[in-house]
Amino acid sequence: MKPSTEQMLGLYKMMVRSRAFEEMVAEQVQKGHVPCSWMSGIGQEGTMAALCQLRSDDHMTYTHRGAYSFISRGSEPSRLLAELFGKSTGYCKGKGGRHIADLEHGVMGKSGAIGSHAPIAVGMATAIQIRGGDQVVISLFGDGTSNRGTTHSALNTSALWKLPIVWICENNGYAGAIPSADFTTFKAASDMAAAYGIPGISIDGNDPLTVYAVAGEAITRARKGAGPTLIELKTYRVGAFAIGAKDLRDPEEIMAWKQRDPIERLRRQLLEMDLLSEQLIASIDQEARIEMDSAVRFAEESPFPNPEDAYQDLYA
Amino acid sequence: MKKITLTRAVNEALREEMQRDPNVYIQGIGLRAVAPNSLTGGLHDEFGSQRVRTAPMDEPLIAGSCVGAALAGMRPVAELHLADFAFCALDEIISKAGKWRYMHGANNGMMLPIVFMQTIGGYVGGAAEHSQSPVGFYMHAPGLKIVVPTTPYDAKGLMKSAIRDDNPVLFFTHKLLGGTEGEVPEDDYLVPFGKAEVRRAGNDVTVVATSYMVSLALNAAQSLAEEDVSVEVIDPRTLEPLDLDTIVQSVRRTGRLVVVDEDTMRCGVGAEIGFQVMERCFSDMKSPVLRVGNPDLPVPYSPVLEKAVLPSSSKIQAAILRTLNPS
Repeated sequence: MKPSTEQMLGLYKMMVRSRAFEEMVAEQVQKGHVPCSWMSGIGQEGTMAALCQLRSDDHMTYTHRGAYSFISRGSEPSRLLAELFGKSTGYCKGKGGRHIADLEHGVMGKSGAIGSHAPIAVGMATAIQIRGGDQVVISLFGDGTSNRGTTHSALNTSALWKLPIVWICENNGYAGAIPSADFTTFKAASDMAAAYGIPGISIDGNDPLTVYAVAGEAITRARKGAGPTLIELKTYRVGAFAIGAKDLRDPEEIMAWKQRDPIERLRRQLLEMDLLSEQLIASIDQEARIEMDSAVRFAEESPFPNPEDAYQDLYA
Repeated sequence: MKKITLTRAVNEALREEMQRDPNVYIQGIGLRAVAPNSLTGGLHDEFGSQRVRTAPMDEPLIAGSCVGAALAGMRPVAELHLADFAFCALDEIISKAGKWRYMHGANNGMMLPIVFMQTIGGYVGGAAEHSQSPVGFYMHAPGLKIVVPTTPYDAKGLMKSAIRDDNPVLFFTHKLLGGTEGEVPEDDYLVPFGKAEVRRAGNDVTVVATSYMVSLALNAAQSLAEEDVSVEVIDPRTLEPLDLDTIVQSVRRTGRLVVVDEDTMRCGVGAEIGFQVMERCFSDMKSPVLRVGNPDLPVPYSPVLEKAVLPSSSKIQAAILRTLNPS
């Protein structure tokens, strides 16, 4: 499954915007404007090559890391940042912080406990199946989350019920500070697929065009009602677990992964294909910076909620 | 009117709501092969395996997928069987169903219309992990409505309200109440949340009792009537929302309150209701509020030990008499 010229350029722009958002958030965290910790998604934007293929009526569940999942679906950086600032104009009116929901764009909510998304993805897919629609669910999880019982529960049930789900394990090699090899026995998260009798494949998550092709096939398979697929994206977060946290990893390992940056990789490929020029690259970067500057202004100028708003929104 | 059991009443509510609304579906362990006279009996045959889903033996999956389906616009019902087993799914019930709408600032009108059915109760030799009634445990958690029906009429009308409610509802049926018979209308009707029912009127002591405890309290009230003690028995029917006004009005009249709940007393239903009444009725009280419940122990197996731990009519009678003669 190959993306069109337009799709490739669209993906590239989206990845640049996501990176610009992350860099801007890091700056705001360091300035003390964000009262929660933030797990930067820098380095893992290759996942966007899967998410960008979702239709607006498809569903997604996502991990605690980064903003690339929200940006892929069309959430606005201004309202995302306002939420991180705790402002009333944020997507959750300042009640969620990094737990973002943006139902209009299919961002359905974020679990604090990792791995709890997996049964939720099963429920979304169950709704699709009962109604007889052709939507799909992409459910992201990390290598650490592959240990949660809920992950296995959900893989089992999705296979049993042939649900339209694409499971994507973003294996960045670490759960917190601990390397994956210290808590899992399998070499690739996709090996779990064999136990549940579904297709499983492990690929380079930092190669956006490969991610696009493989995820595209899995999405098609799910849309046809042929059931779930498990894809492992081998990737890396180039920053620490959270902004400001101590990073115990080998600096050489970090440097090596920085050379494999997914955005740079796609940029090189698009340059080779003559789809990008240095001029276009600069203008895409410039546009993203302008967008993020205006997001910061929006978040700064937005009001905080009123204390009595704490009593709203418990029940529908 | 017709006379049916409480189990049958719940079953009829589920069937009628599934007929009325295609977004309602039910899932749980073993639903394809349940007894015809159980809460979900006959539903699989009528609605098929898509809408009556036989789930793996996996409570977090059953409860968590209800959250996902609700976000996608369905009205799922989870049959979790024993409340003891539902503890496996506490993250899904308490942190997802109970808190997601609030945490996400009701983004775009986020709703989580889910019913979590659970069976509670001891008195069946089930021992500590088959006998729990953790109703008060969920009262502690924000965002969950709590239903504890005691009659077939209430059970049917409250279940219909639960399914039509746009919020997560925990629906607790007691093991010993399933066979209770009562009159139920032929036509569609709802019982609203947050309206207590005075099961017996009286002037000397107010007793608030939940679920199966209502029948024990009524027995106690009947026995004491022979000793010229007039007991009012209030069945809150839902604990969230709680109809505190009905309880307060009664206590202002009687000046005495006993709260009966089957679960462990510490931080329980009795502690909460007793405290709320104290906050509003302190000057009307003639004696301290008393609780009847499990004295903070796991429910033991042997009938002799179980009886020592769980509430009974005689323990309720003793508590009522103590409020009349505080030492």
